[in-house]
Amino acid sequence: MITDYSFWTIQLLNGLQFSMLLFLLSVGLSIIFGLMNFVNLAHGSLYALGAFTGYTFAKLLGSYWAAFFLAPVAVALVGAILYQLLIKRMRSASPLNQVLVTFGLLFVFLDVFRFVWGDFTLGIDTPELLNFGFAMGGQLYPAYRLFIIFLGLIIMAALWLVLERTNIGAMIRAGVDNGEMAACLGMNVNKVFFSVFCVGCALAGLAGVVAAPIFSVYPGMGIELLVPTLIVVVIGGLGSLRGVIAGSMLVGMIQTFGQVLAPQVASMLVYALLAATLILRPQGLFPARG
Amino acid sequence: MLEAQNLMKSFGALHVTNNVSVSIKQGERRAIIGPNGAGKTTFFNLLTGELPLDEGRVLLGGQDITKLKPDGRARRGLGRSFQKNNLFDGLTVQESLTLAAVTALGKSGIFWRDPANDDEVVQRVKTTAQQIKLEQVLNTVTDNLSYGQRRQLEVGIALASRPKVLLLDEPTSGMSPEDTGGMLELLKNLTGEVTMLIIEHDMDLVYNLADQVSVLNYGQIIFEGTPEETRASEEVRRIYIGEWGEDDA
Amino acid sequence: MIKQETLRTFLAVLLVIIAVIYAVNAGYFGKEILAEILLFAILAMSLDFLAGFGGMVSLGHAALYGTGAYFYAVLTVNYGWNAPSAMAAAIFFCGIAGWIVGAATARVRGIFFIMATLAFGQMAYVYVFENRALGGDDGMSGIPRLDLSLVGIDLVDPTNFDIFLIVVAAFVFIFLMWLLKSGFGRTLVGLHRNEMRMRALGLSLLLHKAAAFAIAGGIAGLAGTLAAQHAMFVSPDYLDWKLSGLVLIIVILGGLGSLIGPVLGAAVVIILKHQISAYTEHWAFFIGVFLIIAVLAGGHGLYDLLVKLNKRARRKATKPEEVVDA
Repeated sequence: MITDYSFWTIQLLNGLQFSMLLFLLSVGLSIIFGLMNFVNLAHGSLYALGAFTGYTFAKLLGSYWAAFFLAPVAVALVGAILYQLLIKRMRSASPLNQVLVTFGLLFVFLDVFRFVWGDFTLGIDTPELLNFGFAMGGQLYPAYRLFIIFLGLIIMAALWLVLERTNIGAMIRAGVDNGEMAACLGMNVNKVFFSVFCVGCALAGLAGVVAAPIFSVYPGMGIELLVPTLIVVVIGGLGSLRGVIAGSMLVGMIQTFGQVLAPQVASMLVYALLAATLILRPQGLFPARG
Repeated sequence: MLEAQNLMKSFGALHVTNNVSVSIKQGERRAIIGPNGAGKTTFFNLLTGELPLDEGRVLLGGQDITKLKPDGRARRGLGRSFQKNNLFDGLTVQESLTLAAVTALGKSGIFWRDPANDDEVVQRVKTTAQQIKLEQVLNTVTDNLSYGQRRQLEVGIALASRPKVLLLDEPTSGMSPEDTGGMLELLKNLTGEVTMLIIEHDMDLVYNLADQVSVLNYGQIIFEGTPEETRASEEVRRIYIGEWGEDDA
Repeated sequence: MIKQETLRTFLAVLLVIIAVIYAVNAGYFGKEILAEILLFAILAMSLDFLAGFGGMVSLGHAALYGTGAYFYAVLTVNYGWNAPSAMAAAIFFCGIAGWIVGAATARVRGIFFIMATLAFGQMAYVYVFENRALGGDDGMSGIPRLDLSLVGIDLVDPTNFDIFLIVVAAFVFIFLMWLLKSGFGRTLVGLHRNEMRMRALGLSLLLHKAAAFAIAGGIAGLAGTLAAQHAMFVSPDYLDWKLSGLVLIIVILGGLGSLIGPVLGAAVVIILKHQISAYTEHWAFFIGVFLIIAVLAGGHGLYDLLVKLNKRARRKATKPEEVVDA
């Protein structure tokens, strides 16, 4: 098995696919973190919200693709409301208070999911269009998983273009680099914060609806993925796209290959990596701020 | 007592401390003067280890302390006060001085006794409070002291650790003229054993207090001598045009 | 200061009396709830010592609690140790674990400190969760309680166990109060207020923070061994970071840095949880909303509220002539 070429290809693809999900989930959190100095523990709940609303849309409209487009919009809407009601007020709060409020939010979301969708595991069918596989060493590799990798790469490229090549991107980068300075230059900080927050939420929602056909949909799914997401953000360095890419690749691959090579210690490896990063290089691998 | 040998520090291309060497004898009171931005506070931070050195050595009582962290240097007897008040908000004068005394006496690891019952600590707090003339306000919370009193406490916290060498970073900064006079008297009364290195802008205080003056400009020592020699120096006067000269006659 | 102290002592004595009366008179379910409150109270005092006085807001405290519980379980069940030595060993081990975490995170600040402790906590959680020898997901059962039959006390009886927990909690409270008054405790508070200054005075941040973390770890471990004895069962849930979060909530709602506040917080949160659960399964929703409102309102917890009420009452009593501020 160890020398089986296709086996490793499949693991590599699995790792990539998990990395891409982590990327979609982390990128919003990281940029919000870097830009607004705000840590949102409820970010994982937005991912779960994406999966749940996706489930409902798919049920009601009978089409996965409708859910694929509508769920992120719905999550962004919820994010917008959250921002106006709560997040705006918490921006200058101490880290402890931010943690507490968003932790409270996480509890609230958890019970809302239980209340609305019930405390059981739901599933979404893989869309018809992608319900086939590629033959790989006697196995069929699902096309849907390749689709996730592809989608992740597209979003990555799009974000890179926006951040590096547009005025809005320049403003965001300036804001991450030095918030006060950016405000002095006449940038409407609040508007930028608000938009970034909503886009971050939409991406988390997208991750949720995309993950739904592979993983099951249940109330605790967001909390489960929150911790790996935080790890990606901290390892990569706050507010940097390169950091998020590197972080999600590292965490995704370590998780996946760790499970295959050393299942006993695989999950601990990621935490050890985080602890080591925090102690040896607290600013992360690719910090946006010098 | 304290010796700085060829200290070098740069931030990028900027040499904030450029080959500075200073040697201070036991019991000496040395003033460091120089225009704003000359690198005086950086020099202090290099001595205390707050900033890492690029090159050079720091010796205290003949021992090399270059490799020690700030707390290690402090334990060897290097005490300092800060240019901006760096106090313990919410604690009283007594509590603040007790903290300093407990730490300096190496009793911060003692968990079986209240320092209020420890004679050595109590005595240290009492004498320090007298030295800084705050014995009347021992139970006042730091935040409610007047600015001058806070400044005195700033020096007092450093003093409570009974350092061999005391580094004072502009002790009179922001003080009114009367308060400055009080501070001068306070510092003059610290007789004998404490070696003092003081950054100061108030020239009256420098001339009244210091035995020796070092002048720092652009990160370099450009002059060293007695207060009289410094006052007479053309070079020093040139650097300081506008800052002093007229009003200290 | 003196008057605050009186209020704190008064409150502590009052809580002990209420707890004892309740332990004797409550029904079986009430006794179980009281035990839960007391376990959380001990854990919350430990976290308050660390976060409220030492400024180290840990989001991994449950891991030390769970480690204590598992250590005790393994030593008694798998190795047949007697309860007192197993408890001592577990507390000692958690102290060492705390020391290591404290030393490793001594230079990490703010939100990163919270993340770092979360990471250490999750590491322990995952290790236990995936370790078959520790029962994995299923946990371990058949854990014995301390045998006090020599002095004629049967700890299997829920009333006796409650009283036992009250004594331990009171002991922890007194110990921490005493510790905070010592040179060590005062220096810890000084460190929290002004780290740079304490370092300039010659204090080793690493050693001092690590020592504080070791003490907090030992007490969290103690709470864990008691929890294992209470339930006679341990599971990875003991180490879960959501439990760390809940303890943090208890400390904050009770009053950070007051030591007695978190005890009050434990009582309120646990009672609230059971009260709400009687009507709806969704107690977490209400705790969450409650927490958000409490933080947004800018309060400093229940204890602070009591202090303010006390001040106002005294002001009314003494009239404007002499208002002595504590």
